[in-house]
Amino acid sequence: MLPADCSRRLVAELRDALDACAERQRQLERNLRVSRRLLRTWEPAETPAPQPTPAPETSGEAPSPESTPSPQDLKELELLTQALEKAVRVRKGISKTGERHKALSLKSGSAAISATTASAPSRASGQASCRVSETKPPRGIQQTVVPARGLPECRLLSVGDRTRMGRGSRATKPGPGPRDQQIPPSAALQAPEAFTLKEKGILLRLPMAYRKAASRNSRLWAQLSSTQTSDSVDAAATAKTQFLQKMQMTSGGPGSGLSAAAVEAEVGLLRTACSLLRRRMEEVLSADPADCMQEYRCLLTLEGLQAITEQCLHRLQELRAAVAGQQLGPWPVGRRPGASLPCGGGTDPIWSPQLLLYSSTQELQTLEALRLRVAMLDQQIHLEKVLMAELLPLVGTQGPHWLALCRAVHSLLCEGGERFLTVLRDEPAD
Amino acid sequence: MGRRRRRVDRGAAVGALPEAIAALSRTLPAGPSPEIFRRAKFDRPEAAPALWQLLFRVLSPLSANGASAPPAQGEPPSTEAQVRVVKSELHSQGYPRRALAQLPEDGSQGSRELLLALAWLLARGPLLERLLAQTRVRLGDEIPLCECEALASPGPPVPRVEADGPVDIRHLQWLMGKLRFQWRKLITSQQEQCALLGKIHSYTRGCHSDRSLGHLSVAETELLRDAEGGRQDTVLGTCPPEASQPTFVPRIPEKGAGEWELVARELQALQEELRGAAEPRRAAWEARVGGWGPEWSAVQRASREAVGLELAALQRAWERGGAAAQPHGPCRLVKSDAGASGGPGLRAAQVIEVLRSREACLEAVLCQLQRQCRQELARLAGALPGLIWILPPGR
Repeated sequence: MLPADCSRRLVAELRDALDACAERQRQLERNLRVSRRLLRTWEPAETPAPQPTPAPETSGEAPSPESTPSPQDLKELELLTQALEKAVRVRKGISKTGERHKALSLKSGSAAISATTASAPSRASGQASCRVSETKPPRGIQQTVVPARGLPECRLLSVGDRTRMGRGSRATKPGPGPRDQQIPPSAALQAPEAFTLKEKGILLRLPMAYRKAASRNSRLWAQLSSTQTSDSVDAAATAKTQFLQKMQMTSGGPGSGLSAAAVEAEVGLLRTACSLLRRRMEEVLSADPADCMQEYRCLLTLEGLQAITEQCLHRLQELRAAVAGQQLGPWPVGRRPGASLPCGGGTDPIWSPQLLLYSSTQELQTLEALRLRVAMLDQQIHLEKVLMAELLPLVGTQGPHWLALCRAVHSLLCEGGERFLTVLRDEPAD
Repeated sequence: MGRRRRRVDRGAAVGALPEAIAALSRTLPAGPSPEIFRRAKFDRPEAAPALWQLLFRVLSPLSANGASAPPAQGEPPSTEAQVRVVKSELHSQGYPRRALAQLPEDGSQGSRELLLALAWLLARGPLLERLLAQTRVRLGDEIPLCECEALASPGPPVPRVEADGPVDIRHLQWLMGKLRFQWRKLITSQQEQCALLGKIHSYTRGCHSDRSLGHLSVAETELLRDAEGGRQDTVLGTCPPEASQPTFVPRIPEKGAGEWELVARELQALQEELRGAAEPRRAAWEARVGGWGPEWSAVQRASREAVGLELAALQRAWERGGAAAQPHGPCRLVKSDAGASGGPGLRAAQVIEVLRSREACLEAVLCQLQRQCRQELARLAGALPGLIWILPPGR
C-alpha cells in the first residue's frame, strides 16, 4: 500500500486526467448527436416517430393538427424572417382550405413554371443533386407535406431562381410551387417528401436576417483587426509601455519583469530543448560516416549541440535567479487557475476565426487524430512527471513487498502501464 | 489613471474618456458601471467588491459557454475565494505592485489598486479582444489549433471528496488503464465526427451566401432544420461551442522546485555526454587533418555553414519563434477541393505538418522521461543482488 498523502495526490491527478477526457468525450458525443440528427431525415420536432401517410393517396387532406406550428411558434419565426412567416401562413391557408391551386398564383409561381421548363439546362450547370421529377407530373401542393418539414423547402430556391439565370430572386421568396418538383419519386413506401440533407441539402438557403447579421459581424471583426495597424495605435502602444514601466518602478521591489508563469513556460521549453538535442545527438552518434566530409560534419554537429546545451544551462540559471527573488513577499500561494499560455501570447493574434481548408475526410481525420494525440502526449508527460516525483522516492526506501512495488512502478513509469517486466530469483544451482 | 494613459492629446482625450469608460463597462463581463470606475479613482471602498468580482471573472477561466455554472458548485465562489484567486493569478502573471497582495481578503478595500490592476491587464495584452473571442457565438465548425484558448477556459476544478485512505498501487494501474481506454474511445468518436462533418459539408455545398465558405456549417444547418420549431433563437444562443474542448489543466505540483532540478540535471547530463563524444573526435580529427592544404579550408567553411543552419533550425523547434509562426486560435473548417492555392486561410496539410513536429517533440520528451526512470530504477534495483530483471520485449 502506498502512503496516504501520496495516494491522495496521485489518485487526484489521475482522476483529473480522467475527468478532462470525459469532458471531451461528452462534448464530442453532443456534437455527434447533432450531426447524426442532421444527416437523418428531417422530421419535424413535434410529430411522433412514425411517418405520415404517403402523399399520393391523401393529397387533399390537411396535416394533423399537432404538426402545424402553433401561433406562438410562428411568432418566434418572425424574429428571423418575415418571409418565413408568410410562407407558413400561406401553407396553413392551403392546408386548411385544401386549395392547391392557390400556390401557383404566388409570386414565385411564374418562377416555378418557368423553372420546370428551364430546370433542365440550369441543372446541367452543376446542381447535380437537385433531383427533379420531370417524369412525375406536378401534383400541385402535396398537402400532407407536414408544414414543418416543408419549411426548409420554402426557403429553397428553385434552380431557376438562382442568379445563374440572372433573375436575382431573393432567398426569402416563398416557393411552395417549386416544392412539387423537388420531391423526387420515392421508391420507398415512406413519405416521399422526406427531406434529407444528402438529397436536398444543396437547396438550403440561410435566412436573410442571418446573412445580414453574419456579414455585419465579419465586417466588424475585420475592422477590429485593421485598426491594429494604424498610426494612432502606435501612440497608444507608447502610452501603454510608459504606463507599464511606471508601474514597475513604483512597485515595492526591484522585480525582474519575469512572471512566474513566464518562467515556468521557459523551463518547459528548455526541457523540450533538452530532449530534442539529445535525440539529435543520438542520431549523429548512431550514424556511420561514409567519408571525411561526413565525419567532419558529425564533429561539428556534436560541438554545436554542446554549445547550445551550455546556452540552455546558462538560461536556466538566469531563470532560477529571477524566480528566487520573487518567491518572497506577501503573495498567497494558491492554486493557479490556468497554466501559462504556451503560445507566447501571439505576435499578431487573429480574433475572428481564420479558415482552415481541408480537401477530404481523410485529411480532416488525420488532422483531428494528430490533435488528439498531441493532447494525449501532453497529459501523459504531465502524469509521468507527477508519478516520478511521488513514486521514485518510495522505491528508494525498501519496505514490505518491495519487489512488487518495483515491478509496478517500472511498468507505470517506463512502459506507460502497458507492459511488465519479470523478476526472477537467481538461485545458485548446486 | 486616465491621465497616465493618455499623454498624447489631453484636450481630445478628456472628452473621449467618458465614452471609453462607458464602452469598457459594456464590454467587460459583469461590467461595473462608469460610476464605479469613478469612485474607484478616489479609492472609495464601496467600489471594491464590484472590481474584485470583475477581476475574478476576467482572470479565472471562463467555462466554455460563458454562462453555465460549474457543475459541482451551486453558487459563485465566496468573496474570499475570489480575492485569493485574483491575487494569485495576478502574481503569477507578474503584477509588480505588492500593495495588491496586502489588501484584505474580505474584499472591502482597495478599489484604486484594483483599478490599477485592471489598467495593467489592459495595457499588457489584448484583453478585451480575448474576452470577446471567448464569448462570441460560433457560427462555423471550429477546431482550436493551439490549446491556449482551451487552457483559458476549462471549467473550474471540481472539488471532489477524495478517499483519504492509502491505496494500493494496483488501483493506480487500473486508473491508468482506464485512461488509456478513454483516449482510444475518444479517437474513434472523433473519427466518426469527422466523417459526419465531411458529409454535411459536401451535401450543403453551394448553399452559403459567403462564397469563400461555400457550404454550411453544422450550426447553420441546425439553424435551418430547427427553424420550424421556432427554436432558432435557442439554436443561435447555444451554438455548440466545438472550440471549447478543455485541455487537461495540470494541478500545481506541490513541489514546484522539482521541475527546475530535473531539467538542470538532464541538461548537465547531456552536456557531459556531448563533451565525451565530441572531444575525442576533435582530437582524432586534428591529428588527421594537420597537414592538409588550403583547398580544404573552403570545404570546412561550407560544412560549418551547413551545420550552423541545421542547428539553427533545430533551435527554432522549441524557441518562441517556432511557436509564434504557428497560427493561433480557433479556425473555421471549410471543405474545399484541393485547388485554391491562393486565397486566405490555412491549409490542412500545413497544420498537419506543424502538428507532426509537435508530436515528435512531445514523444522525444516522453521518451526522455521514461529513460530517466529506467536508469533510476535500474540503479535502485541493482542494489539488490540475486535477482534477474527481465525487461519486457521492446516495441
